[in-house]
Amino acid sequence: MKISRRFLSIIYIAAIMTIMVFPAWLPAQTAAVKSADASSGSAMQWSVQVDSVNPGDIELAYSFQVAIYENLLEELNKTKQFKEVFRDGDRKANEVPNLLVLKTTVEKYTPGDETRRAVTTVSGATKLRVRSQLLTREGKVVLERTVNGDVRFFGSNLRATYNLARNIAKEMKESPLSVSEQTSAIATGQL
Amino acid sequence: MDRLFILRNHRNSYFVGHALIRVWALLFSSGLVALAQSTAPPVNASAPFSIRATHLLGLENTKSNCNGTLSIRGDALQFQQGATPYAEVRITSIQAVFLGGESKQVGGLPMKLGKVAAPYGGGRIVSLFAHKEYDTLTLKYVDSDGGVHGAIFQLSKGQGELVRNELVDRGVPSGSDEDKLTKPSTAEVRYENK
Repeated sequence: MKISRRFLSIIYIAAIMTIMVFPAWLPAQTAAVKSADASSGSAMQWSVQVDSVNPGDIELAYSFQVAIYENLLEELNKTKQFKEVFRDGDRKANEVPNLLVLKTTVEKYTPGDETRRAVTTVSGATKLRVRSQLLTREGKVVLERTVNGDVRFFGSNLRATYNLARNIAKEMKESPLSVSEQTSAIATGQL
Repeated sequence: MDRLFILRNHRNSYFVGHALIRVWALLFSSGLVALAQSTAPPVNASAPFSIRATHLLGLENTKSNCNGTLSIRGDALQFQQGATPYAEVRITSIQAVFLGGESKQVGGLPMKLGKVAAPYGGGRIVSLFAHKEYDTLTLKYVDSDGGVHGAIFQLSKGQGELVRNELVDRGVPSGSDEDKLTKPSTAEVRYENK
């Protein structure tokens, strides 16, 4: 008898929790879908050209620069936020009417060590911080973000570039592009 | 006594003669080797070249992190994974080749799980020894529309230089050595040891 009472009380609490949580979930989901649709709808008319990574004053290995560039192209294609994604130097981009240019400048780089990560857990992290700018052809900044990409525990050092590219693409998807006649209301933030 | 003395003398001269012949043969053969080295024909730039490699990323229509064969045939660099059709880059379109190095943990996911499951932090001790040095070869090339591409390959230590030299022999400009860029600065090491 005692067991069945306890069992019933657990079910009762679980039901209350479900009722409390679910109504909160559903509007949140619809809102998220709506905002994503809205932002992608506004950006879908635009194409983007990804510039090669500018290492700035940082001594960043060329493999890292290439990995950031290639991962960025892949992640931006995955988001389907832009009509077309062009590579740096692609002549086809010249014929596209609505084109934005994505510039990536490295601000900070801490080289890591996979073995040190595996042995110590707390040290050996590979850290990258870049400034991403989305510009119009005329050079007006439409979006500016500082984004980080790290690998702290598992994975090779190059995985930091994948995390970075994914964060940049995510940030672009979540941020509304202020590309209008007034344009260039620069939004600055940090992940 | 005399007879014995004569015999000994004969043996000595016999020994000395043999020794001289051996020295002469040694000198002659080493001279031949030196001659062969100096007159060796230059590396044939058009000869096919093939090596095992891992494609990390960048090549079109090729999976990332897949093993295959990297080869240079004619004026193309090809990567083939098993029986799948190969991906190809024209050597004339390669703008630069960079060589780097990286130390990686070996064993993949099974090893990782084993290390996590090992009691008393034994996995960390395993990690200390379960790593291997690799060469990374980074290519920068352009497609027919002028779009810039990059591709990264991972090769066994020492083999990256072979591929780079093959490409440089075929006229690809070599970029700066990446090794110095991938090493952490002393300040960072000091900071992380604190």
